[in-house]
Amino acid sequence: MAGVLKAPGAFAITPHKVSVCVLVQIYASPSQISIPFPFSSVSQHNRLGLYLLALTKSCDDILEPKLEQLISQLREIGGLLDHWLTDHLTSRLSSLSSPDDLFNFFNDMRGVLGGPDSGVMEDDQVILDPNSNLGMFLRRCILAFNLLTFEGICHLLTNIGIYCKEAISSCSSYELRRLDDSGNDLESLSEYENMDLNLVFKKINEEMEARKRATERVSFHLHLPKELSTLVEDIEVFADPKSEHNDKGRESSSYSSSGDLLRDVDLNGGVFLRTNWQIQGYLMEQADAIEKDGSSFTLNAFELTLRQLQKLAPELHRVHFLRYLNSLYHDDYFSALENLHRYFDYSAGTEGFDFVPPAGCNSFGRYEIALLCLGMMHFHFGHPKQALEVLTEAVRVSQQHSNDTCLAYTLAAICNLLSEIGFSTTSGILGSPFSPMTSVGTSLSVQQQLFVLLKGSLKRAESLKLKQLVAANHLAMAKFNLTHVQRPLLSFGPKTSMKLRTCPVTVCKELRLGYHLISEFCCEGSTMTTDGAFSTAWLKNLQKPVGSLVLSQDNSSRDNSNPFLFCTQPSSIPGSVLQLVGSSYLHRATAWEIYGSAPLARVNALVYATCVADASSSSDAALVHVKLIQHLAVFKGYEEAFSALKIAEEKFLSVSKSRILILKLQLLHERALHRGHLKLAQQVCDELGVLASSVTAVDMELKIEASLRHARTLLAAKQFSQAAAVAHSLFCMCYKFNLQVESATVLLLLAEIHLKSGNAVVGLPHALASLSYCQSFNLDLLRASATLTLAELWLSLGSNHTKTALTLIHGAFPMILGHGGLELCARAYIAEAKCYLSDPSFSVSDNPEVVLDPLRQASDELHVLEYHELAAEGFYLMAIVFDKLGQLEKREEAAASFKNHIMALENPQDGEDPLSNA
Amino acid sequence: MEEDEVIHGDFYLLAKSYFDCREYRRAAHVLRDQTGNKSVFLRCYALYLAGEKRKEEEMIELEGPLGKSDAVNRELVSLERELSSLCKNGMIDPFGLYLYGLVLKEKGNENLARKVLVESVNSYPWNWSAWSELQSLCTTVDILNGLNLSNHWMKEFFLASVYQELRMHNESLSKYENLQGTFTFSNYIQAQIAKARYSLREFEQVEVIFEDLLRNDPYRVEDMDTYSNVLYTKECFSALSYLAHRVIMTDKYRPESCCIIGNYYSLKGQHEKSVIYFRRALKLNKNYLSAWTLMGHEYVEMKNTPAAVDAYRRAVDINPRDYRAWYGLGQAYEMMGMPHYALHYFRKSVFFQPIDSRLWIAMAQCYESEQLHMLEEAIKCYKRAANCNDTEAIALHRLAKLHRELGYPEEAAFYYRKDLERMEAEEREGPNIVEALMFLATHYKAQKRFEEAEVYCTRLLDYTGPERETAKSLLRGMRMAQSSFPSMDVEHFHP
Repeated sequence: MAGVLKAPGAFAITPHKVSVCVLVQIYASPSQISIPFPFSSVSQHNRLGLYLLALTKSCDDILEPKLEQLISQLREIGGLLDHWLTDHLTSRLSSLSSPDDLFNFFNDMRGVLGGPDSGVMEDDQVILDPNSNLGMFLRRCILAFNLLTFEGICHLLTNIGIYCKEAISSCSSYELRRLDDSGNDLESLSEYENMDLNLVFKKINEEMEARKRATERVSFHLHLPKELSTLVEDIEVFADPKSEHNDKGRESSSYSSSGDLLRDVDLNGGVFLRTNWQIQGYLMEQADAIEKDGSSFTLNAFELTLRQLQKLAPELHRVHFLRYLNSLYHDDYFSALENLHRYFDYSAGTEGFDFVPPAGCNSFGRYEIALLCLGMMHFHFGHPKQALEVLTEAVRVSQQHSNDTCLAYTLAAICNLLSEIGFSTTSGILGSPFSPMTSVGTSLSVQQQLFVLLKGSLKRAESLKLKQLVAANHLAMAKFNLTHVQRPLLSFGPKTSMKLRTCPVTVCKELRLGYHLISEFCCEGSTMTTDGAFSTAWLKNLQKPVGSLVLSQDNSSRDNSNPFLFCTQPSSIPGSVLQLVGSSYLHRATAWEIYGSAPLARVNALVYATCVADASSSSDAALVHVKLIQHLAVFKGYEEAFSALKIAEEKFLSVSKSRILILKLQLLHERALHRGHLKLAQQVCDELGVLASSVTAVDMELKIEASLRHARTLLAAKQFSQAAAVAHSLFCMCYKFNLQVESATVLLLLAEIHLKSGNAVVGLPHALASLSYCQSFNLDLLRASATLTLAELWLSLGSNHTKTALTLIHGAFPMILGHGGLELCARAYIAEAKCYLSDPSFSVSDNPEVVLDPLRQASDELHVLEYHELAAEGFYLMAIVFDKLGQLEKREEAAASFKNHIMALENPQDGEDPLSNA
Repeated sequence: MEEDEVIHGDFYLLAKSYFDCREYRRAAHVLRDQTGNKSVFLRCYALYLAGEKRKEEEMIELEGPLGKSDAVNRELVSLERELSSLCKNGMIDPFGLYLYGLVLKEKGNENLARKVLVESVNSYPWNWSAWSELQSLCTTVDILNGLNLSNHWMKEFFLASVYQELRMHNESLSKYENLQGTFTFSNYIQAQIAKARYSLREFEQVEVIFEDLLRNDPYRVEDMDTYSNVLYTKECFSALSYLAHRVIMTDKYRPESCCIIGNYYSLKGQHEKSVIYFRRALKLNKNYLSAWTLMGHEYVEMKNTPAAVDAYRRAVDINPRDYRAWYGLGQAYEMMGMPHYALHYFRKSVFFQPIDSRLWIAMAQCYESEQLHMLEEAIKCYKRAANCNDTEAIALHRLAKLHRELGYPEEAAFYYRKDLERMEAEEREGPNIVEALMFLATHYKAQKRFEEAEVYCTRLLDYTGPERETAKSLLRGMRMAQSSFPSMDVEHFHP
């Protein structure tokens, strides 16, 4: 290929490394006394030593500190010595004025190292062991210097000049900022240019000290650069060799703001261009960061950085991939497409240190990964048909090249696509390449095909030992089991007893299987490298089990292990695994939500929010917040929900606004319905509808929700026929796309519409159908609420059905009281009271509390919800009861409350505008 | 005063000699205190060239493991400062303006650079370097039309050249032909006309022009790569080898020479050697567009698709309008069995060159491939191809076949007839004729249009093979049908 990447960059000598060498020389000057000249105590000497260790260890970081930073760090470390140290350092650096000086300098360095027989030296002599950390560092520097061409030495010399000069200019600009006498400083700046460097440093240091004393500002510690604090920590913990990894992770993450690199690149040009590994490590980190939280990157700023990088390193094609990711997460379709193609054209999918050339015949390039990525891209932009076409091609190509790993990932992606996006039919799309998997033919429904694919994908992932994929597949399986009844694939043959129900146990089992992942990763501990975010996983080494990668690289040379220091994260569990575990908790929360256990759903969401929120992507984190806030709204009323929403909005300020926005609209809509602000409700509902068909794709879930709410609004406005029409078309849509869980809800809504319109007989079959859906999908809470509606329907059929209704209500009560929200409980109480009241055999005066107690409960709960209509009904019933009991005072009280609620309902403008405060 | 000028003149001459010996800094140093326009220009230009030279050297010295480093011309800043102050004070001549424009362009300030260069060429139109810098800044027609150029015959040269760069070949050709009326013996114009005609795919005439050109200017290397491309397409082995020999004797280390040799080896089928020479051409000029594309073709021949993809991609990154490279990319991916992925590239290629039938046919074949099997789209592409003068006559035949397969016999008959007409006009022979005749005969028979059917059947009798027998039986069947339903005939004759 024309642009094959050269061998990973070796240890390059930079001005910063020269500075470190100077310091090492000070630390280990070959003298005869135990404490060399400038040091006054052993501890002082040791402190410098530890600092140097930290410096040498961080020498392979992406950024090297500037001289200015180094000096300020030295000031921290050196204590009393700082003047001497910085003076010595700067004078030594500025004394290097010809190539020969550099030769001599590195010759002197050789003297610092002990010979091979250093074992027999005198006790109190300070000589650097060539095999110690510092010794190795020196040796590497000397070697790198000796390998330099004469031109290289000239460049090093120029760079040292720039390095020193920069320190001056940045010092003075720093001063400029602190003191507002810019005129003087400009003068002095021009003075500096003409002066001997050596003098300048002295002068500047003196000036800075003098000014510091003069201004008496905040103590210097507050200006401490971040690097220093990490370095100091490094010193404290460095006894534990493993912690080195951790610190690297942290340090590199502190550099991850793109501005840093940009500045670095800008000022220093090619000089401080890091080694191949370092840049790749940086890019990988950025890729993870983008995938985790795309909107925190600004499109142009990062693009600028990448352009710069590309200019500096045109043979590093990974940059194009980053540009692709950047435009992908900023919804720039054309640029994303262009960059994706460009990346794979250049790299053939084989670039990067994570690529291990396959042992076998495959010298072909791995373009199937390009197809996989392209498919994912179309999926992201909401072109499901194209995505499916591309992924189909990916399946075929990976089969052709027997790239099983890629095949497994592609299948998983297809499953994801099929389950996320509503396809009414796949015939003609999922064609021949799937025949080995779907041997039954294409007569299967989409769901059945999905199931077969899921099974196949899971099996494949298991046999390839792709743990993360296995876990992800288990999650997908759980999701499938949650919302689909499993039917036998073949309709002929011996009739098995068909149990048309979903099976919560299977769901639970699948979720638990996914959870095994974390324990496996814990066992393997430090040998794991991170795979980054889940979706970049396929770009990384797919051919081999991940664990062996480090070992194979470590054997070759010390240099090669550096990138892995960059990618290791502070915790021993990689972020992607944590993300998967997190999403398993999310799945659990959703599962319990569907099954109707509010406390368990809440607990799982809380676990997610507290344990894995750091590793999770911002959209997942937002989702959990949404769940928790919804829970609050249902159980604690709107006031609390809105105050929580405010916090969430601040937290996800720019990030994944849409989810939070949707939640806000949902809450507003519900509150508007309860308060009777129908206009507002309709307005909010329309906004939801607009969100449903965004630029990227039609969100089925949201679309259904929007029209469900539309129907509810119409119902509240008593436009029954229209409401019924909307609900009916909604049901048709759900049926078409096989959304059975949603169908249950829609059927229940239809039953309610008929109940309210006085058509109880028509409502009954709908309620019963909804009930049967609930039964087969184990939707217990929805079932309770359907039972309640059924009871209400019976009740409205006449007083001779009160017994039936009452039995139904009592049957549903445990579920409703245990897991239902405020509204449901209140409705149940009122329905119960109505049953009693309409029962001719029931006498109020005998047992008034049986009626009054539920009514009181209901009115309390409805008060929190501000549900005026139902509250009015409750108070009305209460007034009637009191009237019968002859308690006139209490009757008036209830009647007054009734009046209040009716007034509030009829004058909805009284309340404050919720759009303004929320 | 006069003595002064003499002394200054001496300084200038010394500097010019140094400059001619490529001792740029030395030349600049000699002129350090001179203030005459000529001296200032020479000093600044020498400094600029010195910076360029150092830049090139540093590029190699600093080449890191990740490719190029960002070596810059270190003189640009000071030159810009000096020239802008001169420009502000109005003490600058057209040459100084040219240099100023050059520096501004390097610094990335394109708008100002354009303005300055326009000023330069307006006051002194005979500086072709200024024109060509201006040309490199005219990347779209809009920019070109926005330039405020005063009329001069040099402007015609400029426009012709820009049009060629903007792929407006016909406009360019007419400009050059006009110019040729004035400058009858210009080799340059002749070569440019040849290049324009080459882009219009008029190979015969191009060959003639180049032969003529080589007679007048036998040691020419410039533009000879185009000539070699023509010889390549016409498969003139000996002429191409002769050309290669000639250029190598003239100047071995010219990218054009290497390209010509590469073409020769490619024609001989020695693709490895060909790649070596294309690589050499690219070493000499990294942005040599056609070498990248041609190297891509070689890699395709060698079945090294990843390398081909890489080479093509470099070509399109140098010039995104290079439709041949996009086409090559599409072909490479199609070869790898990724037709859907390849479509993206074919789309790009037809976007930039919608009049080339080969591109449309390639795209149609991609749609037709068994993996995609998107026949409707394929038909659309073939229709486009048939509309743009499909020399190989693939499109019509495929259109007829596809329509037949999709069960549109009327359309199929239409295209078979057109195809047949075309083949007759070009006096082609082959199985396609038999196929067309066969289909038309059966089709018309089924339509009960026996006369037409008979015509086709009789024509089929001229061919050997099983079709002849079928035609015979068809004819027999038709006669039977005609004789068994005489009443219908009667009705026809007596309405």
